[in-house]
Amino acid sequence: MDAAPLTSKRRTGRWRLLPERGTISLFELLLLAICLVLVAVPLPQYLQDVLIQTFLWAGLALAWNIAGGFAGLISFGHAAFFGIGAYTSSILAANYGLTPWIGLWIGGALAAAFGAVLTLVCARLRGPFFILSTLAAAEVVRIAALNWAALTGGAEGFSILPIASIANMVFESKTTYAALMLGYFLLIYVITKAVEGSRYGYYLFAARDDEEAASAAGVNPLLARTGAMCLSAFLAGIGGSLFAQYFLFLDPTHVISPELSFQFALLPALGGLGTAIGPVLGSFVITPLSELLRSYFGGAGAGLHLAIYGAVLVVVMLYFPSGIAGALQRLAERGRKGAP
Amino acid sequence: MTALLEVRQLTRTFGALAAVAGVSFSVRQGELVGLIGPNGAGKSTLYNLIAGAIAPTSGEIVFQDRPVAGWKPYQAARAGVARTFQIPKPYRHLSVLENVALSAMLHDRTVAAACESAQAILTDVGLADYVDAPVGNLTVGLLKRLEVARALALRPSLVLFDEIMAGLTPSEVRGMTNLVAGLPARGITVIWVEHVLYAIMKTAPRIMVLHRGELIADAAPEVLVKDPAVIKAYLGEEMSLA
Repeated sequence: MDAAPLTSKRRTGRWRLLPERGTISLFELLLLAICLVLVAVPLPQYLQDVLIQTFLWAGLALAWNIAGGFAGLISFGHAAFFGIGAYTSSILAANYGLTPWIGLWIGGALAAAFGAVLTLVCARLRGPFFILSTLAAAEVVRIAALNWAALTGGAEGFSILPIASIANMVFESKTTYAALMLGYFLLIYVITKAVEGSRYGYYLFAARDDEEAASAAGVNPLLARTGAMCLSAFLAGIGGSLFAQYFLFLDPTHVISPELSFQFALLPALGGLGTAIGPVLGSFVITPLSELLRSYFGGAGAGLHLAIYGAVLVVVMLYFPSGIAGALQRLAERGRKGAP
Repeated sequence: MTALLEVRQLTRTFGALAAVAGVSFSVRQGELVGLIGPNGAGKSTLYNLIAGAIAPTSGEIVFQDRPVAGWKPYQAARAGVARTFQIPKPYRHLSVLENVALSAMLHDRTVAAACESAQAILTDVGLADYVDAPVGNLTVGLLKRLEVARALALRPSLVLFDEIMAGLTPSEVRGMTNLVAGLPARGITVIWVEHVLYAIMKTAPRIMVLHRGELIADAAPEVLVKDPAVIKAYLGEEMSLA
């Protein structure tokens, strides 16, 4: 489930091939290089769109993973944080002329505050009960956004003026958006790696694995968990703002939907829960797959793309229970055993 | 010498049942005190009260001259009270090293420093060969040692051991007994719940006996084995047959 754990024999001075806790591996550098090349080279518009979505979702999945993977706070309500971020920066820009570059931090902060309240209120709930409460909380936010039409535009939606400028955070070129989303994803990856290798990260793992034991080791589990949810919600909120600036249209049924919340949880689960690379791999495999399937089959056999998508998910879950990252790690272990 | 830990009239009821009923004792710095009693006597409840896992119904706990009854487990750990769990509670997704390093992080500022401390403690408890193993691969005996290592990694002034010998082979019991016996000299005061009587009788100069939530004896082992109340409550027929 986790990244390769820290071992006593740290092979210092040598590059690791595959991702490990606390270091950067060649695999990660290679992936970074590919990302940079994909942003730089001219691609057809629709492929650029897939790229933008993939980067955004890599960031969002990583954000979810800090709560769901590291702290064990499996949330089916992250769309609420996403929506709070999206609406906050957009409303601040439209009504008060505040640039989204500042608004997105405010949106993130509001999402974090909501995450903190949610975690503290549901502190006693575990497992399925916690999951259901997050789902319910997100529904409350969605219904509030639908009905508070004066602020959010309600069901008719909320449009962001497509006037391209840096201050408006609206751009002509998809390449700029791709770079922006890549920056977002890399920022969260760096934060994730930092958390994963830190004392705080270990406090989260401990509180997730055994709360009583963690507490007896000096960890305040509620504080650790709440912090994780705040950070996760904050980053998801920023992702919401970025999505708004790209999509330029918000509607509660889309940006605060349970489907979106499931996607948050699905990508890390498929990629490898509780690892840094897992959510990234999840997004890099699943987002293009779902987008490409939609564009190939979306028109002709309506729903066919969803059937294929569903089948792929089932296969991955059946054969790679610890995700793509888990499969990679097993491969690495086999390689190590084979070597003299 | 003042007491490190003082427990006064400590009571904890669960519904109509008093799991711990008016227990008073004090433990001085550097002592090694055994705590025995039949199953259900209230030993684990007493530990949970001292270590903050549950709050007392009434009574006082004073640790290092500070009233601490009702504190939280992490406050107890930070103040220097470590405990082991009767049923081991490892962090399943962490390695043996990481399990112990987590406790060391209470005092070590960096993960690397904590890993170094953990490595030394694992060698102490005889887990050096399992440092990199996933905890899922450990036997019960090894998990018990992991519990001990995690408690010691907190660098406690008081440690509460809960049946750390269960599931160990006789030679492992000897090794563990030596380890425990050496702790007071390292500045660690020990309270030790154990069913492996020959180990505790040989090692602890003072033993308390808990029966139905009450402390029925608190004496040296050689006095205890002749105490009729203790024989009746705990040592029982086996002892009289022998």
